[in-house]
Amino acid sequence: MHVSRRGLLAGAAVGGGLLVAWGLWPRDYGTPLTPGRGEWAYSAWLKLARDGVLTVAVPQLEMGQGVSTILPQVIAAEMGADWRTVAVEPAPVSGAYPNLPLAAKWAPLWMPFAAGLADDPRKLVLRRWAEMTGFTATAEGTSLAAYEPPAREAAAAARAMLCMAAADRWDVAWEECEVRGGLVFHGDKHFSFAALAEEAAAYEPPDPPPLNPAPYAEVPDPVTEAAGLRFPRLDLPAKVDGTFPFAGDVRLPGMLYAAIRHGPIGDTELLGYDEAAAKVRGLRHVVKSRGWIAAVADTWWAAEKALSAMAPVWRTTGRASSERIATAIDEALTKGEASRVVTRGAGDADNGEPTVTYRYEIAPATHATIETASATARLADGKLELWMATQAPSHAKAAAAKAVGLSADDAVLYPMAAGGSFDRRLEHDHAIEAAVIASEVGAPVQLVWSRWQEHVAGRPRAPLACLASAWTAQEDGSPTGLRLRVAMPSTTAEFGARLFGNKTALAARRATDSAPDPLAFEGALGPYAIPDIAIDHVPVDVGLPSGRMRGNAPAYLAFVTESFIDELAARVGREPLSFRMAMLGGDPRLAECLQRAARLGQWDGGAGQSGNGIACWRIGDPEIGGPVARIACVATARAGEGGVRVEKLSVAVDLGRVVNLDIARQQIEGGLVFGTSLATGSALAYEAGLPTASRLASLNLPQLRDCPEIAVELIPGEGEPADPGEIGVAVAPPAIANALHSATGLRLRRLPLLSEGL
Amino acid sequence: MTALTVNGRPLRFDIDPETPLLHALREAANLTGTKYGCGTGDCHACTVIVDGEALRSCLITIAEAEGRYVTTIEGLSRDRSHPVQQAFVAEQAIQCGFCTPGIVLAAAALLSENANPSAAEIRAALPNLCRCGVYPRLVRAVERAARVARREETISAAPAPGISAEDAARAVPAMDRGD
Repeated sequence: MHVSRRGLLAGAAVGGGLLVAWGLWPRDYGTPLTPGRGEWAYSAWLKLARDGVLTVAVPQLEMGQGVSTILPQVIAAEMGADWRTVAVEPAPVSGAYPNLPLAAKWAPLWMPFAAGLADDPRKLVLRRWAEMTGFTATAEGTSLAAYEPPAREAAAAARAMLCMAAADRWDVAWEECEVRGGLVFHGDKHFSFAALAEEAAAYEPPDPPPLNPAPYAEVPDPVTEAAGLRFPRLDLPAKVDGTFPFAGDVRLPGMLYAAIRHGPIGDTELLGYDEAAAKVRGLRHVVKSRGWIAAVADTWWAAEKALSAMAPVWRTTGRASSERIATAIDEALTKGEASRVVTRGAGDADNGEPTVTYRYEIAPATHATIETASATARLADGKLELWMATQAPSHAKAAAAKAVGLSADDAVLYPMAAGGSFDRRLEHDHAIEAAVIASEVGAPVQLVWSRWQEHVAGRPRAPLACLASAWTAQEDGSPTGLRLRVAMPSTTAEFGARLFGNKTALAARRATDSAPDPLAFEGALGPYAIPDIAIDHVPVDVGLPSGRMRGNAPAYLAFVTESFIDELAARVGREPLSFRMAMLGGDPRLAECLQRAARLGQWDGGAGQSGNGIACWRIGDPEIGGPVARIACVATARAGEGGVRVEKLSVAVDLGRVVNLDIARQQIEGGLVFGTSLATGSALAYEAGLPTASRLASLNLPQLRDCPEIAVELIPGEGEPADPGEIGVAVAPPAIANALHSATGLRLRRLPLLSEGL
Repeated sequence: MTALTVNGRPLRFDIDPETPLLHALREAANLTGTKYGCGTGDCHACTVIVDGEALRSCLITIAEAEGRYVTTIEGLSRDRSHPVQQAFVAEQAIQCGFCTPGIVLAAAALLSENANPSAAEIRAALPNLCRCGVYPRLVRAVERAARVARREETISAAPAPGISAEDAARAVPAMDRGD
């Protein structure tokens, strides 16, 4: 009897012997790359061609953050390649690229009942799971932590193979060869990568591969930087001439265009639509599901027009509304039962009544990616093909396949880059929808959500309210105890139930509404040496599904904590910078950031209505180890016509080792702009299950003319490279709130800051 | 059939004349460099140049564009050599790239009218939304493009497409097979 591995797995799993089956799962996922003619794959990471082009496969989603330059750069630097020869392609979904640090971090989401078995990247269960599921998700700033080591090893192995091939031609020892600029040298002889590409591919690299003594790093230095970028982004030439393809730019023979309407938020069901009205020129099909309806036409515009004419009717119970959100959160905050998710020292035990308590609130915020959810699907001969941008490709692929009755093995996902994401592309409803529509109409289909649908069916950042309490020292007013009591949905658990449990938004909400969500409080202890800290979560179902957003927990925790710290300083008339410095004895590097930011931003203490505010934050914990990003920001802001006017943001940043300085700067700048947008806008309000705003214009997003002047000082740092993308998002809103307090005397405790009025 | 000139070529569209130019370009002409972001004129990702003026292609129908000259990002230059394209790459004033075509065309239209725009004029001419946050680099990039256009500076940041392997091998030793 022939027994396939898959049959064994299924059988074993049914019998409860999952680990037995895992033991038989392949350990080596080989090389999932398909080399073209005159091209040879050296490993899962790279191919080298006869013409000397080195193509790097990147298993992370390019969404603007530059990962499709940074990982190839790591390889080029380790391998000694010439940057002008480096090309990049997205890696296919494969077990060859497990994101172990992220799998460890998210173990409570994919293995909720036994997360302890897999909370460390070194654990076998975790590696097996990540390989088996092809878990390559792009999130939580883990790209370098997950992929710099295997990228370097792949490059070092390829370098050794090239040296071996050259050495054999010269009849010398390969260890005596050197590689630089895409050439292998021995003394004054050399061969090019192009000349060696074919031969070298056949060599067996040494195990372990001979890594360079240190990983590549760029150190801030005005002189070398003025000479130009050493590693300019690979994606820019195509992005500047319109040829860089996004999912909505795919064109297939016979392809039709689909537009969609989702029912109001709640438990929603399509009742019907005006069939007579759907006589729009170019309309080909109407596809109905329980919670959405799609029109398929010759152009997207015709499909969208047909949907408007059809005016679908829904039956919805439990409609989301801002009033309901506010009531649920208020009730939870004041009366709900809290779970303690983080404690330091004695927490709040034996402290008695706090000296001071303030209440902070954050409204639901939308990502407002300029690219709306887009996916192209083709279903033919029992195979599903998907073109889309996704931060979690294996799960998107599996969910879409399942929706049309196929196994994940019968689906192919072609990873496309995203037109912005900010964690929006951790969701993949549109993949399921595109697959279902393609299946029903029997033709390739491109589904693009309208802007309005992004507002209706996107997954905004969760709303929250927080009572921040402090017990303060009598002599100087500094906090000896801090407690945050936060009422918010169990937003991370809800996201996990959607991504890993393949649940609908409604089912995910119902599955998680009463359990606390420790992952939503990452870094809640903050950077300060406060002896006693208690972080309490009151989980609350607000009737609105929520999701991940750039900055995540650090973004809302920094706003609450850094606003509150400012208030504690103001209570006793202390200067906000020195008030913070006095509590940073345990983190001299963050103290250094504060001092440098103060200098850069000409910090004046914020006195005399100068409109200067200060804030700092860090992501990562030096006591635990791993990468730590630190930032301090001096903001200058005023209350101006039509709202908040942010004039300047000056930041000093310590990211540890930096691989690409200019991309790090881009990310810091972009993070600050994104954080500014969360401070001044991005909020959605809801009525009867629908957002009250349908347009980007209603979100008060910054344009070039509103953009603050931004000054960034990168501090040369040591240690593992930290992600530059999220830390700016975290620091900007509290710095701006503190600046407005200086400018106006008003303490704005609600995000967006405008919503309180000035 | 609605006739207009796109990137120097006469085109006739056999679709509803009320179709916004954006969707005619993307879905009928397959000129996908012009992006849909909102359909209501808020994001400016669909900006194209119509008779020399930067316009949002989601707000004009092909009937309204009949007989006019439209330039999309595909037609701005044949080889990425437009000063704005070169300057945007040189300054890395691009992240995800989705809003880039609209911004580049808006900047190109500005420079064709005003060879030496002030920072305030640049800010006023670029109302495009960029969520990645390239704003801090835009004024610098457009000023640099203006200097290039005025021939005060040259940049070669974005290589022309379609370089032959032989030409590449002459410039890059790693690509020279030595045979």
